[in-house]
Amino acid sequence: MELTSLLEPLGSTAETNLALVVLLLPLLGFVSLFFFGRKLPRKGDWLSIAFTVLAFLLSVWLFASTWNTATFHTRTIWFSLHTLSGTFADFTAGVLLDNLAVLMLVIVTFISTLVQLFSVGYMHGDRGYSRYFAYLGLFTFSMLGIVLVDNLLLLFMFWELVAFSSYLLIGFWFQRPAAVAANKKAFLVNRVGDIGLLLGLFTFYTYFRTFDLSALRALVSAGNWAAAGFTVDYTLNGQLWLVELSPVLLTLAGLGLFMGCVGKSAQFPLQVWLPDAMQGPTPVSALIHAATMVAAGVYLLARCYAFFTVDALTVIAIVGAITALLGALAALTQYDIKAVLAFSTISQLGYMVMGMGTGAHDASLFHLTTHAFFKAALFLNAGIIIHAMHRGLHHTHQPHHVDPQDIRNMGGLRKAMPLTFYTYLLAAAALVGLPLFSGFLSKDAILSGSWAWAQIMSSRGNYIYFIVPIIGFTVVLLTAYYMGRHLWFMFFGSFRLPFDVQALRLSARQEVEQVMALPVLLLAILSLGIFFSVNPLSFGSSWLMQGISLEKLAEGGKVLATGMLQLVAAQDEANHTTHIVIGVLSALLGLAGIGLAISMYKNKSSEALLQEAPKGALAKLSFNHFYLDQFYSNTFIKPTLLLARALYRVDKRVIDFTLNYGSKWLVVLSKIVAWFDRLMVDGTVWLVGALSKVLGLFGRNLQNGKVQSYVAYSLFGFILVILYILLI
Amino acid sequence: MNLILSSLIFVPLLAALVVLVMPIRLQKPIKAVALLGALAQLVLAIVVYLNFQGAAVANGQRGYQFVEKLNWIGLSLGSLGRFQIEYFLGVDGISISMVLLTGIVGVIGIVSSWKITQNVKGYFLLYLLLLTSVMGCFLALDFFLFYLFFEFMLLPMYFLIGIWGGPKREYAALKFFIYTLVGSLFILIVMIGLYTSVVDPQATAWQLGLLERGMPANFDVIQQVRQLLQQNAIVSADMVHTFSIPAMTEPANFVPNSLLHVMSGVELWNLPIRFVAFLLLFAGFAIKVPTVPVHTWLPDAHVEAPTPISVLLAAILLKVGGYGLIRIVYPIFPDAGIYFAVLVGGLGVLSIIYAALCALAMNDLKKLIAYSSVSHMGFVLLGLASLTVEGVNGAIYMMFSHGIISAMLFLLVGVIYDRAHNRMILNFRGLAKRMPVYTSFVVVAFFASLGLPGFSGFIAELLVLVGGFSSPEATGMLPRWLTIVAVFGLLLAAAYYLWALQRMFFGKFWIYPDLRKDAILSDLNFREYLMLVPLAILALLFGLFPHLLLDKTGFAVTGFTEMVLQNGEEQLGRVLLMMNK
Repeated sequence: MELTSLLEPLGSTAETNLALVVLLLPLLGFVSLFFFGRKLPRKGDWLSIAFTVLAFLLSVWLFASTWNTATFHTRTIWFSLHTLSGTFADFTAGVLLDNLAVLMLVIVTFISTLVQLFSVGYMHGDRGYSRYFAYLGLFTFSMLGIVLVDNLLLLFMFWELVAFSSYLLIGFWFQRPAAVAANKKAFLVNRVGDIGLLLGLFTFYTYFRTFDLSALRALVSAGNWAAAGFTVDYTLNGQLWLVELSPVLLTLAGLGLFMGCVGKSAQFPLQVWLPDAMQGPTPVSALIHAATMVAAGVYLLARCYAFFTVDALTVIAIVGAITALLGALAALTQYDIKAVLAFSTISQLGYMVMGMGTGAHDASLFHLTTHAFFKAALFLNAGIIIHAMHRGLHHTHQPHHVDPQDIRNMGGLRKAMPLTFYTYLLAAAALVGLPLFSGFLSKDAILSGSWAWAQIMSSRGNYIYFIVPIIGFTVVLLTAYYMGRHLWFMFFGSFRLPFDVQALRLSARQEVEQVMALPVLLLAILSLGIFFSVNPLSFGSSWLMQGISLEKLAEGGKVLATGMLQLVAAQDEANHTTHIVIGVLSALLGLAGIGLAISMYKNKSSEALLQEAPKGALAKLSFNHFYLDQFYSNTFIKPTLLLARALYRVDKRVIDFTLNYGSKWLVVLSKIVAWFDRLMVDGTVWLVGALSKVLGLFGRNLQNGKVQSYVAYSLFGFILVILYILLI
Repeated sequence: MNLILSSLIFVPLLAALVVLVMPIRLQKPIKAVALLGALAQLVLAIVVYLNFQGAAVANGQRGYQFVEKLNWIGLSLGSLGRFQIEYFLGVDGISISMVLLTGIVGVIGIVSSWKITQNVKGYFLLYLLLLTSVMGCFLALDFFLFYLFFEFMLLPMYFLIGIWGGPKREYAALKFFIYTLVGSLFILIVMIGLYTSVVDPQATAWQLGLLERGMPANFDVIQQVRQLLQQNAIVSADMVHTFSIPAMTEPANFVPNSLLHVMSGVELWNLPIRFVAFLLLFAGFAIKVPTVPVHTWLPDAHVEAPTPISVLLAAILLKVGGYGLIRIVYPIFPDAGIYFAVLVGGLGVLSIIYAALCALAMNDLKKLIAYSSVSHMGFVLLGLASLTVEGVNGAIYMMFSHGIISAMLFLLVGVIYDRAHNRMILNFRGLAKRMPVYTSFVVVAFFASLGLPGFSGFIAELLVLVGGFSSPEATGMLPRWLTIVAVFGLLLAAAYYLWALQRMFFGKFWIYPDLRKDAILSDLNFREYLMLVPLAILALLFGLFPHLLLDKTGFAVTGFTEMVLQNGEEQLGRVLLMMNK
């Protein structure tokens, strides 16, 4: 196989051009609003929304025209490292439109449109109004970039841009210290994941000389498992490359890629940034931290599915299960309305990742889709409630410390806000996974897939693998419980703050602004199962899942874990009755969880609910998210800062000290040399001078001009000569 | 002969001469002349850059273009042969980016110096001298000429820091001066050793009468001379020794039994003399780069230097170090380059991590950025030591990109220092509220520096890291863990920049009470826009379209790596053979 022919430029088609337009529209929105937004009428919100709506409409058209038809791919050379010997392939850039891409395109632009619409009401009157819409545009652009690109390097670039725009949006209210601490944390934690992702990319590049996804897939598909490992041979400009990769290295590389997902999709152990990210405006949480950005990790797994070995997938499944469990456990005791949803998001993302790991590739993507809708609905609804609470607190002049986001301060909201209540209920039912709702279908699909996976994996007698689906079922129960509790606190009982609950309404006639009601309504309706499957009780008849199956996306090519995946798929096919059992079981668990929550809280008085706090070590553990933040702070952050200061002291106290003292000793040495120079060298010279002076004086005294003296000297000299002759 | 490279070097000198004769009180005209001089240099640099053919290799000068070669000093030393120093200029894919960078930053620096009031004439005179000598360094192909320019950089820099600097300027200037001088002494020693060991085959052919004097030698004649030389068939009176760097990179030009010949067998401190020479040269340039542990002059020099001088220092002066390694050290001593690859790469990684950690501990914004410079220059060493095509391209890209981005960073520090006469991070909070545009630029510059895709720094880091990572398979130079450690530098860079942003620019607005009296926190003015906007655009441009630079450097880099690897492996074998005897 010749690599350069796999990387040949591909001409653009109408579809890919259109996809590029969809990509660039939000960027245009960002540029125009960031630079001119304040000068535009209404600060430019209409412009940003217009761009996004246009992008959405084009996406829908693309979806309608390309779904289940063909894959459209355009590619061009981005840059190259020129060589004469041709040992390098060009770095390419391109757009890849397959079922998954167009599906994501629609989801992202749809939710982005709704969130922007919602924000018109929510962010009304904010000082940074146009800046806010600009950032949303930048985010949408980056996210669409991840979806559309055809190569891992570009994907990584947009991946980082997503982190950057998320940084801007979380810290949108930059005067709040908590917000700027949160955005820093989010970016840094994401970077930890990105290090792994980068190293994973490097490994594949080292051996396959390209970042292009379709080329990499083709190369992997052409490879074989031999005794020593995975072998691939290909030619690059006619030169033969024989690649032999050990299973360990391949697994590590795959786990590197997975690290990126761990960061972005808030998986254990990097999930700590997501709860803090709730410091951003609530519509942002809906867009970024529920529907799109966090889904990017799962999307990455899907795109790189060909590159995971069986071992890597096992780790992925376990990490996903742990995350699902921890997120659900932490959600049990939260009182902040957004915190509950944030932990629930972590938990649901854990489900998706678990699905990916257990080979339920399509189920996982299906859950990504349904979750995007119902979780966005929940977050936007939470935004409506927070907005209303602010209004109520403000109008009735409540003290400042009353937290509008604390569900203990709510209660009985269904009387004042029926629309919010019913839409919240629909979305929550989808999250819990009650039959007829979208979440039921996708969750059921993941659970079935993980069950089949456990059956296959434990066929050698090791039943430990069943822990993964069992965790899956446990999480169903926990989810139902915390959502039941959540709903009870907010909507049932009586309002617990000392003013009339009707003060929360926009006006006596209207509950909430129409721009805010419409998006929520649409999203809540889309939480119904009927939109995703003709038979809303069985995922098997879901048109969506069939469109994003692995066979469709991998275009029939082999992947590293093909053997295991085929076995799991066959097992899943065979599990007819098990499917029914799993469906019924998960529905029953959901109902049980809700019932448990109601029975716990039904008889508690308003005062008791208002005063409730986590009691006992376990509740505190859950409330504080297992003290992970403290753990990281003590084990990583503080030692790093200590090391940093210590190293700076090395600079000052060791290197500079040595230099300064060295130079001081040099001065001392030079002083000694100068002294030597003065005393010895100069002294000798002086001595010679002084000596000659003395001699001269002596000689001068001899010549005193007296004849008697001269006679005496000559006589003395004559005697000396005689003595010399006589004695020698 | 095309004199464009000479013009590139001497245009600022011409402007300096004009400044010299101008009366001191004409401050505005002096500045205008200096600006004109720098602008002319920039225009020439752009012309050279655009006309440089990346793909043109060979035709005798191994890809050097716009070559100017004149006999400068020639002396017959009787039985010792001929002494020859040439005025030898040329540009290739390795220096072209540095030429462009010097042009750009030179102009930006003048704009940044516009508010200088103290001794304007002296300042711009020295500034222009500095531009001349830096450009000379990047264009000289004769080692002696290079050394001349290299040394000459010190003089204006010393005074620019020592006179126009901050409170501890004398200490910083002296430290800078002594550090660099020690480095250049090492270089001088090796230069003399090389001179005695290398002959110029063409001039020797003239001397031998194989060719009429003044006629260019063809390849056959050159080969003939080399053969005669290696067979000891040329008496030393006929040898024409040379400082030409291209001549030094050719192993066959070394006189047999000379000090630095591969087979000389001379040892010093249990190392072959060639290895010692490599280490001396490396030390000389490593001080300039700078590399941990010889980096401590840099933070001090930066802290004390006035803003425009910091910009020049970080953006172009440091690059002379990296450039020297690529142009001189590795091609002349490829054997030692391979032998010491882990040392060089290891020092690079040490710099990346160590300096990033130091930056994390900084409270002075300027010092933080100075340390981040050290950290980023570590990538240059890592990329170079890997000797992969990606790595060396990345090293050059990093030098260029860091030039642009660090110029921006130091200008931005200058902005707050101008307004508040202070730049301690903890003395400010929530600056975004008062200076939103300024903060936007800071965010852009910080993220560009920490390697956000879309900016040039990302391409540079990516190429270096991918080169380092694939080095075990591609060239076998560096162990893989070295690059894995280096990747953590990306995390640390994000940490120190974002922490600084959080502490200084975000949160509720607050400023240390003692500073409130003097601080006028106005947002950017026109002159500052004029400097920052072009730099930001350049960082973006070279981040999105890497081929703008790589098309110029690519072929030269491939030539470089192939030559170093090929000559190096062969010579290393012979050197080690001699050692074992």
